[in-house]
Amino acid sequence: MLSVIRGGRVVDPTASRDGVGDVWIEDGQIVDAPGREPDRVIDAAGCVVMAGGVEVHSHIAGGNVITSRLLLPDLYVSEAAPEGHPFAHAGGAAAWIGATYARMGYTTAVEPAMPPTHALGTQLELADIPLLDRGALTVMGNDDHLLTLLRDGEGANAVRDLVALNVATSRGLGVKCINAGGASAFKDGALKLSLDDEIPCYGLSTRRIMGSLLDAVEALKVPHPLHVHCNNLGLPGADDSFIATLDAAEGRRIHFAHAQFYAYGVTDDGKGFRSAAERIVRAIADNPQATLDIGQVVFGQTVTVSLDILRQFGGRKGAKPRKWVLNAGDAEGGGVVPFLYRPKGPTSSLQWAIGLEIMLLSPDPERTILTTDHPNGGPFTQYPRIIHLLMDRGEREREIATLPGVVGERSGLPGIEREYTLSEIAQLTRSGPAKLLGLADRGHLRVGARADVAVYRDDPNRTAMFTAAKLVLKDGVPIVEDGEVVEWRAGRTLSLSLDSDKAMARRTDTYLTDRFGTGLDSFTVPDEAFDAPTFEAVPCRV
Amino acid sequence: MPAWVKGASTDMDTAIAAAAELLGAARTPVIAGLNAEVSAIRAAYDLAGRVGASLDTLGAAGTYAELGALSRSGAMTSTPAEVVGRADAVLVVGAKPWSTELTGRILEARPSRGRAAGAERALMALGTGAPQAALTVPAEGGLLPGLALLRAHLRGHLAEASPTADLARTLAASLYVAVLYDPAEVGEMGVETIQGLVIDLNETTRAFSLAVPGETQDRAVVPVAAWTTGQAPRTGFGRRVPEHDPWRFDAARQVAAGEADAALWLASVPAPAPGWLSRIPSIALVGDASPEAAEVVIAVGVPGRDLGGVLWNETRGALTYWPARAGGAVAADLPSAASVLSRLTDHLAGRSDTAC
Repeated sequence: MLSVIRGGRVVDPTASRDGVGDVWIEDGQIVDAPGREPDRVIDAAGCVVMAGGVEVHSHIAGGNVITSRLLLPDLYVSEAAPEGHPFAHAGGAAAWIGATYARMGYTTAVEPAMPPTHALGTQLELADIPLLDRGALTVMGNDDHLLTLLRDGEGANAVRDLVALNVATSRGLGVKCINAGGASAFKDGALKLSLDDEIPCYGLSTRRIMGSLLDAVEALKVPHPLHVHCNNLGLPGADDSFIATLDAAEGRRIHFAHAQFYAYGVTDDGKGFRSAAERIVRAIADNPQATLDIGQVVFGQTVTVSLDILRQFGGRKGAKPRKWVLNAGDAEGGGVVPFLYRPKGPTSSLQWAIGLEIMLLSPDPERTILTTDHPNGGPFTQYPRIIHLLMDRGEREREIATLPGVVGERSGLPGIEREYTLSEIAQLTRSGPAKLLGLADRGHLRVGARADVAVYRDDPNRTAMFTAAKLVLKDGVPIVEDGEVVEWRAGRTLSLSLDSDKAMARRTDTYLTDRFGTGLDSFTVPDEAFDAPTFEAVPCRV
Repeated sequence: MPAWVKGASTDMDTAIAAAAELLGAARTPVIAGLNAEVSAIRAAYDLAGRVGASLDTLGAAGTYAELGALSRSGAMTSTPAEVVGRADAVLVVGAKPWSTELTGRILEARPSRGRAAGAERALMALGTGAPQAALTVPAEGGLLPGLALLRAHLRGHLAEASPTADLARTLAASLYVAVLYDPAEVGEMGVETIQGLVIDLNETTRAFSLAVPGETQDRAVVPVAAWTTGQAPRTGFGRRVPEHDPWRFDAARQVAAGEADAALWLASVPAPAPGWLSRIPSIALVGDASPEAAEVVIAVGVPGRDLGGVLWNETRGALTYWPARAGGAVAADLPSAASVLSRLTDHLAGRSDTAC
């Protein structure tokens, strides 16, 4: 079927396109105007047409997310089921996640923290998120197998083979390291870890572990660069950890997760923190091989979920309400600590300001991607509001006026005049994340792109505009109309096409059997475990 | 393809039609057991969501002891392989953990990873002793008072010499403490006390709790329930909203109170059916079925034997895929529980107006 989205303001920064025009779609792809009559005409007059949104870092599946639901049964509200899906209005459920992203015009979302030991559970949960294409990053960097291999001085090829085996077995889309060595150190009594501190029992450092993973990701030609959660998240002086980590990458591609939580410089009196947004932005600008996502804070109750158990243990006493879960798992495990970003509180206000400041200072929005690190900085449902604040200085000033003076004293936000354009929003939420994940078929509207398209009513109230799209197409099929889901179709799970080395598989099988009492077979994610075809292979870089 | 209606052997289509009729006539159906592979659990939730049924699990007593304590005060936990590999002190609470395979693995090994690697493993008991325990605190007054006394010693609220004081000292001086317990045995307050004392210990060393595996698939149900409804199991859909209520949606209570008027018992992993099943019109989807199990009985494949399926793997503490065992029933002979449930859902799809 040939369709055309006619007369909308088409915004595609990858083609320097921002003007009224048409978008033609056939067989689930964007095509050139074919010179024949369309079967379907979608009137987009007065609307903005963008590629579907792409999420790079949102905790939407896995053990921590499950635990957060059990720990805080009252965090979300469930409403009566809509027609067509019994669980889509079940607050916080997989179907609710898919529906809520889709209504906002997002069509792809990546869970950034899949432990290889729990890959099947995570993948089954992801597969139950409807409407979106999904993916997960395989977490390494604290597991005894990798650390032992490094301690024993095995070469880069062994690490590469182990990484390939883990990604292939768990069917990940990329590789992430989370405070590399931190969880291991925590189990052996450590409470703090910086880049060059020794990890007990292994004689390694974060620098060494991360460096080996950076090399492995490059050697395997994984499209997504190593996704790095640095040491010392959220602590005053974390900006030093961020910069030291960037330096340690020594020019290799690197992605920094939730950078806002590291943009905390120590104040002169050494007691508090102030914005280091300028420092972080400058460093990213100077290093074209580096990218970051924000981890924007929004006000209100949330729950922090992280495999960084060293950090989550450190933050346990700030839990609100006062209960938390820490699972010292087979490698990282996970920590779930409820948290209230107190509306108008000085600390949360400054965190809020710093995230916005990073985006507003960024010379390259494609490399400073919008996330809230859902749910850690707040729920992803707040993206429309954040976009509103980026695009509308007046709206920003009205909000700042309600906040404590610390926002002006310790961040540069109030002085920033910049207003994001729609093209820049598309870079921040479409083309940037798609390029970062190495998904050439999305994040843009050029010929050959997957027909994942969001059509929004152009409304100066950007919060309203981006909360409920007028129309969303997934692979050319309308899934949302006037902000409501109209077609409950399943997306695919994107997983990297990687061959693993047979010798490493045999060796790992022996290791796992010895440690877990079951071999590699029990770590696999076979097609037969799913009720419907689920996976789509993503090729490595050539 | 064995199936029975009122004890008489029949074909699958007839049995499914009878089951749909039975469920369709009910105002407050319950789906219970859920002792099944993930695809069947998902299908049971789908059916319940569409017909307004409530759901309950086979291992609810232990599951609620865990979930109640978790949602009130949190937890600090480890995994089987971590305890086997790292713990230099293991405290076994109560009798049940002694008979598990996990305790056997812990007894066989010494710490091999982390800062306690190479150390001896001190095994201690609270409540029920065992020959392997280096120290046993009998807890004559019961496990909960025994745990409370131990926690009081650890916090420094009590100091007089006693076996409990010795136990507290040993735990505090260890590098990696693991506390093993069976949630159903220690109860909700027991779990909460164990979590509290483990959390206290972490002010100075490392300590974690580890619930021993139960004999049900509840640990598979909990995550599926959480991602499907956003909440833990014992969920009702009678009001078109998933409502989590451990008391209200206790199937045995609902039947005893006369609230439930039909039941579907799901146990593709064979398990004894509850006595209340025979008191109301019922359907059984079970592995190793017998004609008298319920009014309508449909034999389904046993996951990991007759069919492949995802089950809770006790050894690993994770969901894993189990292929059909060589020499099991031919797949075509026995349907999967999920396929039967989804056929029932299709039959009942038009009935959504009856839920109120």
